[in-house]
Amino acid sequence: MFTHIWKKEIRGALYTWKSMLWLVISSLLFSFTSYLLLTNKELSLLDQTELLWLLGKIIIGVALLIITIDASSVITTEFEKETAESLFLSPISLKDFIIGKLLASLTLWAAIFVVSIPYILVTSAGSHLALAFLEYVALLGTLGVVGLIFLIFGISLLYRSSKNTITTALIILLAFATPALFASNLKNDIVSQAFSRANPIDNIFSSLDNVLVDYKISLLENWQFLLPLVIFCLITFTFLFWSAKQFEKKGIIKND
Amino acid sequence: MSDIISAENLSKSYGATKAVDGLNLHIRKGEFFGFLGPNGAGKTTTIRMLTGILKPDHGKIAIDGYPSENKQQIAKVIGVIPESRGFYEWMTAVEYLGFFAELYGIVGKEKEERISSLLTEVDLMKRRSSRIGTYSRGMRQRLGLARALINNPQVLFLDEPTLGLDPQGQEDIQLLLKKLNAKGVTIFLSSHLLNEVSNLCSRIGIINNGKLVAEGTVDELREKTKLGKDKTLTDIFLNLTRNNT
Repeated sequence: MFTHIWKKEIRGALYTWKSMLWLVISSLLFSFTSYLLLTNKELSLLDQTELLWLLGKIIIGVALLIITIDASSVITTEFEKETAESLFLSPISLKDFIIGKLLASLTLWAAIFVVSIPYILVTSAGSHLALAFLEYVALLGTLGVVGLIFLIFGISLLYRSSKNTITTALIILLAFATPALFASNLKNDIVSQAFSRANPIDNIFSSLDNVLVDYKISLLENWQFLLPLVIFCLITFTFLFWSAKQFEKKGIIKND
Repeated sequence: MSDIISAENLSKSYGATKAVDGLNLHIRKGEFFGFLGPNGAGKTTTIRMLTGILKPDHGKIAIDGYPSENKQQIAKVIGVIPESRGFYEWMTAVEYLGFFAELYGIVGKEKEERISSLLTEVDLMKRRSSRIGTYSRGMRQRLGLARALINNPQVLFLDEPTLGLDPQGQEDIQLLLKKLNAKGVTIFLSSHLLNEVSNLCSRIGIINNGKLVAEGTVDELREKTKLGKDKTLTDIFLNLTRNNT
């Protein structure tokens, strides 16, 4: 049943050009970044591994931002455009509804990743890191995106409003992203270090650094970064599960 | 004949306001039941509870023998024109009905035939490939009816199905509903158009302040209100709802 929802979302996104717009924006940002990294006098002096690390951060960062904005309206639109009632009058379950919407958001991430491949290949030309870079952008990006989508869908089911969902989701994203951009010498105290260890975006960037700068390519060598990401996904999944239960308790039409 | 819709002691409150208060309803298979009430009387809340969209605070509901907890089974036997009438505006009528048909597991040739026959019934065949966003209000109403019929339902819940339609459009829908009822489809019609209810329905329930204040044929309601034979359903309705306000 969820495949019908997934197909509908993809068709809708293609028809309204929403996805196309996101992909064009991603492509422009990646082009601009790659161009700067390869031609700017100071930036081009950086070691190639540093360049790749910067590009990896930008690809995943842009993807997380786009997914946050897009996923915030994927569920809530059904309530705001008053299509939810007709939809839930059919034999569709809430589980199928959520899975279909989740696949639609993951498809957007997959498309952003595909758009980034040529930039990754061009920037990593001449190094032996192209494949590892691709694999880790795919793995880390997917874990980050999945966790974020669970969180956003959970918020969507509670609020049922795009405006509230997007505001809350952007604040959370900002709260994770801002400390991750601080230099490591600013994270010397215990609280900063603990937050950094738990912060999914910090772990994504640290894992990329581990792979590209320190050449630690195997999954075992990155477990300390991957484990917090998996835990992040589990926590946000639990939150989504709880939100879905609350949603079912209140009914498709809210009591207020 | 057995009850196809049964509601026992149904109640629903929104904060301190009791929208529906101890409602009992028993509708037999094949009946054309009219559900009347002033604005805010609890008609839409009742329909939403009967169709499983809203959970009652108290009471029991069964549709075609299935308890309200069995939502997916109930969804297969009912068709609904709900109060909220949102559409996927970027879809064409064929895509829209196709999407809902697939949700009911209707695929392939059967789906195409069902869509064609429904679009012909609701007179949208000529505009089948136009985007819903370009449809008039009346066309959307008719498309909503086609969607409600996509699964060949045994029970049809209609919340103001002719709202916003011109007299011709209203008559077309009424004729279609008569035809469906003649085929054995049970119809639960909520409407403000008392003439429409009077012409179509075999039995009428009147709700006021969340309570069912009267139920029966037009003659039975006339008898209950002790109004003369010359009085219309409008007189009966006003008598019952004003006295109970």
